[in-house]
Amino acid sequence: MISVRNLRKSFNGREVLKDVSFDVWPGEMLALIGPSGCGKSTTLKLITGLLEPDDGEIVLNSKEIGLVFQGSALLNSLTVRENLALALRERKLPKREQDRIIMEDLTLVGLADYVDSFPTQLSGGQQKRTSFARAIVNDPKIVLYDEPTTGLDPVMSTIIEDYMIELENQLHAAGIVVTHQFSTWTRTAHRAILMHDGVIVWEGKPDDAMRSSNPYIVQFAKATKDGPMLTGTI
Amino acid sequence: MDSTVRKLSNGLHPIDALDKWFSDGVQLIGQATLTAVKTVKYALAGQIDLPEVFRQANMIGVGSLYVVGVTGLFTGFAMSLQISRELAAFGADTSVGGVVAFALIREVGPITAGVMVAGRVGSAIAAEISTMMVSEQIDALEIMRVDPVQFLVVPRFLAALVMIPALSIYSMTLGLAGAIFVAQAKSNIPPDIFLDSVKQTIVGSDFVTHIVKSLINACIIIFFSCAIGLHTRGGAEEVGHATTRAVVWTMTLIFIFNYIVTALSNLHTS
Ligand SMILES: Nc1ncnc2c1ncn2[C@@H]1O[C@H](COP(=O)(O)OP(=O)(O)O)[C@@H](O)[C@H]1O
Ligand SMILES: [Mg+2]
Repeated sequence: MISVRNLRKSFNGREVLKDVSFDVWPGEMLALIGPSGCGKSTTLKLITGLLEPDDGEIVLNSKEIGLVFQGSALLNSLTVRENLALALRERKLPKREQDRIIMEDLTLVGLADYVDSFPTQLSGGQQKRTSFARAIVNDPKIVLYDEPTTGLDPVMSTIIEDYMIELENQLHAAGIVVTHQFSTWTRTAHRAILMHDGVIVWEGKPDDAMRSSNPYIVQFAKATKDGPMLTGTI
Repeated sequence: MDSTVRKLSNGLHPIDALDKWFSDGVQLIGQATLTAVKTVKYALAGQIDLPEVFRQANMIGVGSLYVVGVTGLFTGFAMSLQISRELAAFGADTSVGGVVAFALIREVGPITAGVMVAGRVGSAIAAEISTMMVSEQIDALEIMRVDPVQFLVVPRFLAALVMIPALSIYSMTLGLAGAIFVAQAKSNIPPDIFLDSVKQTIVGSDFVTHIVKSLINACIIIFFSCAIGLHTRGGAEEVGHATTRAVVWTMTLIFIFNYIVTALSNLHTS
């Protein structure tokens, strides 16, 4: 599980996260939504330890974390196989066992034929799926997705969302998905948190978003420019 | 008056600009030193990815043969032309070989090769690593608990440690060949006279100086361009900035350390 308490983080004197607390349970997917620049990626980086919080506490029940980066972040100098092998490195598996896991993992995302391709030879959607495969190759108990469907066409978005749902059932991990794509968080998440100006302004089930009277989630879900979230800050 | 001064230095008062330049430099030297310490630690612990070392050696060494060769050759041409004319005027044709070789081996050779490799390899490394930084590839490494220094810097360092001295010697050899050719063609100094003079003038310690300088160049190029790459923050526009910074810093330091080694080696011999 993931437990985040009173998280604070500033960059160059500007407070990006002011006071953020939430829990994610095993088998649960939490959507972190909010306008660009509200600190969603920063929250994920704090959870993975890539950044240190200024204040607050993060408790994780596992050090095995899978992170699907916004831009895939595959190592361009390595093939798909080598990218996955790097993630498996610490397990020091025999080569055949390692190859078996890699092929199984790639088959899951439909990319077994691309095992010896370089990332630059893949399409955006294929890179995203490879990044997926890399994130889950060690069966992590915590999986984080940073805008997994942003920049993909609607069909590829649906495919990625389906993978997320399938993985969720398989891994029984605690998951966080950062997104502002409506279909992604309504389809994949059990619960959503809306962030604005460094704090959580709404929390609830995706189904409740449209019915809520909370002005923030109404504005966000309906994507209107009238509401408490000023476009100037977005 | 005040406003023109401010405009000249990009919005900063000259003193502030100097201050910023200085503190940037101190910070960078610290980062490069830390990178160096970590790299040497990994290398000594034998945590080396040999295929990657060969790939980098190919990139650094084979990829630079052409530029380093051409610059070495033309440096030899120019020096021989100038020096043989001057010395011939004093009737000292027989010492041309020694003077040219001395200058090429101890001073001009390591500098020209170092600067060419800094321009080609230092900039490429800074561009590659800063691109990896802004595209979150380095973050991905850290999540997989792979130290970017071990993964990226160690193989480049080991490759450079072999290839940069090799390039330097190659450049110097072509320079000497060029010098012999021009001395013969332009000042009628026969190759055997030229080489006799080289043999009488050059001693083993001149080669040691050459190798020491090229090893220092290798360290400067690798550690500074890697440190600059690994500390790049922000978006794609920062990649260009990192590349320029790597070229300026590595070249400047190559000149400074070239002087320091020359001064130290003279201290030693006198
Ligand atoms: N390493 C950093 N240094 C300085 N500012 C940063 C850094 N990372 C993020 N920021 C700033 O923090 C804010 C939140 O960024 P981010 O978490 O990436 O937002 P998003 O919600 O779009 O993912 C942005 O204004 C961004 O410019
Ligand atoms: Mg983001």
